[in-house]
Amino acid sequence: MSKFASVSALAVFAVLAASTAWSAEIKIGSQIPKTGNLARVGGAMSEGIAVAAEMFNKKNGKHTVSVLTMDDESSPAKAVAAVEKLASDGVVAFTGGYGSNIIGPASEAAEKMNKTYITSGGVATELTKRGLKNFFRINNSEGYARALIGMYTELGIKSVTVIYSTKEATEEVAKMLEKTLSAKGVKVTLHAFDPSTTDFKPIVHKIKLQDRPEAIAMIGYENDYVGILRAAKVLKPDIKNISGVWSLATSKMWSEFPDLMNGVAGTSTLSYPAEFTTPEAKEFAETYQRMYNKAPDYLGIFGYVQSMMLFQAAAKAQDAGTIDKGGISEELRKLDVQTVIGRVRFDQDGDNPEFTHRMGQHQDGKVVLVWPADAATGKMNFPAVPW
Amino acid sequence: MFELFAQSAFSGVLAGAYYALIALGLALVFGTMRVINLAHGELVLLAAYVAYSAENKLHLDPLASLPLAVAVVGLTSIAVYGLLSRIKKDRELNSLILTFGLGVIMTNAILMIWSADIHSTSVPWHHDAIILADLLFAMNSEVFFGVAGLVVVAGLWWWLEKTWYGRALRAVASNRDAAKLMGINPQFTEILSFAVAGLLASVAGIAIYSAKVIQPSLGHHLTVKAFIITVLAGMGSVPGVLLGGMLLGIVENLTVTLASSALQELAGMVLFLVVLLVMPSGLFGRVRRRG
Amino acid sequence: MNKLKIPAVLVLAYLVLPLAVNGNDYVVSLIVAALTIGGIALAWSMLGNLGGMVSFGHAAFFGIGSYASALLTIKAGWPVLVSMLFAGLVAAASSIATMPALRLRGPYFALSILAYAEIFRIIATEWKGLTGGAAGILSIPRLPEIMGIDLGGKIGGYFVVVTLVIAMVGIYAVIRRSPQGLALKAMHDSEDATRVVGVNATMLKALMLVVSAFFAGLMGAFNAHYINFLEPDYAFSGSWTTLAIVAAIFGGYRTLWGPLIGALVVYLVDQLVFKAILPQGHQIILGALLGAMVLFSPTGLTPLIAKLTRLQRKETANAAH
Repeated sequence: MSKFASVSALAVFAVLAASTAWSAEIKIGSQIPKTGNLARVGGAMSEGIAVAAEMFNKKNGKHTVSVLTMDDESSPAKAVAAVEKLASDGVVAFTGGYGSNIIGPASEAAEKMNKTYITSGGVATELTKRGLKNFFRINNSEGYARALIGMYTELGIKSVTVIYSTKEATEEVAKMLEKTLSAKGVKVTLHAFDPSTTDFKPIVHKIKLQDRPEAIAMIGYENDYVGILRAAKVLKPDIKNISGVWSLATSKMWSEFPDLMNGVAGTSTLSYPAEFTTPEAKEFAETYQRMYNKAPDYLGIFGYVQSMMLFQAAAKAQDAGTIDKGGISEELRKLDVQTVIGRVRFDQDGDNPEFTHRMGQHQDGKVVLVWPADAATGKMNFPAVPW
Repeated sequence: MFELFAQSAFSGVLAGAYYALIALGLALVFGTMRVINLAHGELVLLAAYVAYSAENKLHLDPLASLPLAVAVVGLTSIAVYGLLSRIKKDRELNSLILTFGLGVIMTNAILMIWSADIHSTSVPWHHDAIILADLLFAMNSEVFFGVAGLVVVAGLWWWLEKTWYGRALRAVASNRDAAKLMGINPQFTEILSFAVAGLLASVAGIAIYSAKVIQPSLGHHLTVKAFIITVLAGMGSVPGVLLGGMLLGIVENLTVTLASSALQELAGMVLFLVVLLVMPSGLFGRVRRRG
Repeated sequence: MNKLKIPAVLVLAYLVLPLAVNGNDYVVSLIVAALTIGGIALAWSMLGNLGGMVSFGHAAFFGIGSYASALLTIKAGWPVLVSMLFAGLVAAASSIATMPALRLRGPYFALSILAYAEIFRIIATEWKGLTGGAAGILSIPRLPEIMGIDLGGKIGGYFVVVTLVIAMVGIYAVIRRSPQGLALKAMHDSEDATRVVGVNATMLKALMLVVSAFFAGLMGAFNAHYINFLEPDYAFSGSWTTLAIVAAIFGGYRTLWGPLIGALVVYLVDQLVFKAILPQGHQIILGALLGAMVLFSPTGLTPLIAKLTRLQRKETANAAH
């Protein structure tokens, strides 16, 4: 009996040893905020990364990845330390990161080690102007601004009031909207608000009585949207459309705040319930549902797309034997793929010039893609406001 | 322009009552024990999360979850007292550090239990509009908790001034040893003040959950706001808390109307500093003895 | 004994530690971050111990220092090390704006400095022409290369920060021993008594505030060139203050080395041990430890260790009998 046990144990070891010999596991690091003020967004992106690893490992018998995650506590210094710790644990590349001021130093730490860093959490224009060879991102401020502007142009809107949080990403998008829309002859008024603002009635009241725009653009985060929409619902300004950017056109917002969302539009990647056109998107949503018992949100989708591309590039680099010599970045630069968020390719700076977000509109519990025309899954309700 | 001013002042008054609710518990403990409870904001937030759980799991209206919130937060508040009372040396500084540590614990516990998602009640009544004279706009919950703030302030003031327990509390606050000689158990009255602070925090928490949006990192922000109002009011002054809250609320709202919302925090802080530097004992505080 | 201490610390800081951890970028990063906190903790303790003032807003001076140095190098093209020193002076000058708060006591003073920090943060956000607003400043110049050592590198950054904090401890020691320092310490115990013997308490307190702000600003300047990024929320973040207070209390804010030791212990144990046990929410342990410290050893870690070693020595002495 004991002999049999030891023999079978040996056999198991032999199989294990053999399998590791022909398919070395690729270790990928994920430096991401799980605590601190970015905990929510970091957690959501992390889910997408885990889904990508799960799907990649299922499909690619030859290559498997394992993702080592480290919480950066929403702090730049701890993000740098996390990147270094993960590197010492043997990771070959990084996926994750949130907030430009955190991604900045973290990606520079990765650059010093000649390791690839891919993210979707930092939209600041300057991030890709640093001349890093190993920095990649799949989204940028322009893409968000472009989607809103595209929708406004299509609707023929002549005046917009932009309410934005005085944070780095939000201010940047707001400034882009102002510049581009003004150039097109649209009248733009800006209202900045402190991130701790909770009562938006005085701002909305000013908009209602003084600006009198056709549309309101909200550039903030979930709690800001809720505050602005509640204020607008009370004051009922005479507008035709109210839209925002990230984290707005999501099924989660509808389920939490059904009375606020109808007719509101926001940047979106997928419709909801997702009307999938590709098998990959379908499989992604199913895996997400199975692992987290909910529909993916945009952060999860971005985390998934960036990680999947990284895994594919890493697998190619491993085959080419260049995985430790900057091969992953080379392979990423060669990729030009259709993903769940549209076409992605990288320019010399690691930015994705193809990135344009879509606009989704809340319509009676569904999120309908309404812009651009070639991705639309339905007609836009216009004029439409939740009150 | 008049419409803007009127609305702004109205919003400011409602915000003031809401601020007062947040600050009262802190002011009470500060008044009786000379201790600043830096975990007070977290207690308020805990009550808000209890209301969230009650709504989601038991389908209770936030208002109906008050007893549950009082039970949880009141006990937590008493536990905070239990730890604070063990401090032997240098109570002023050490109580700050201890309650700061407790705040860190509570913030992280809330994050672990309830995750970092944002929440707010989905009972529509709370967000429906009330319009007065076609001029002043508010949500039901804002007006409701504005009135509740007034009632709570009046109730607390009456309790402190007119009842035996309230007087005992004030006696312990002004002279612990003398109070002891008068047959007052100082420890009991201190526990009582923390329990009442827990009750006040519960009302404030439910107000936030009903009218605003909650997330785990909010607690610290609430503590700072509460402290600013307590200082504006002057130590130990209950009506002062209401007036201080309203002053802050009106200044913030007028700043938004006249200038920009980006400057509203700045206005609040400048107001705080000016009052503090010109009237160090607050707007309604009694002049303090030296030493 | 005391004569040996200083060379021992220097050998440890410049020789043993760098040799032991060199190559392990992760640990070096943690130590640099810990010493940055330690520097603020030192500045904070100085004010607390000698001035008798607890500040909740040292992030104000830290943030001013970081912005001043970043802007001097970027907009005026100054060399990094020069602008770091000058940034310390700017932070010291900014403390003059906070001096009206010196009349306040206890928690009132503490919170008024916090209000200043908030005000500075909002000014940094709104003064877009100078500071770049909420978007912040990216690509702040790195520390330079001097005598073949790249100060901008990992271990180079360590040498810079360790030199800064050791110099601060040195200055602090001198101040403590000076007549003014002794007067301040006496004042901590009884302000009335010192007033009687003719010490200008307010003047001395103001001086301490200036020195403390200078040190905090210097640390901010270092951090700006080490991390290379700034935004108002980060530069004026309350955590610069709270972490420093935790470190100072933990190590013993009335001792010379306590704040630094506290920062190293708290930061490294938190990151290396607690984070491994509880990847998400490990600050819970930190909070609990902080509470326990206040309850069981309110004077901090350093005096506790001193007490324990004394006890042990006594025991061994007893055993020898």
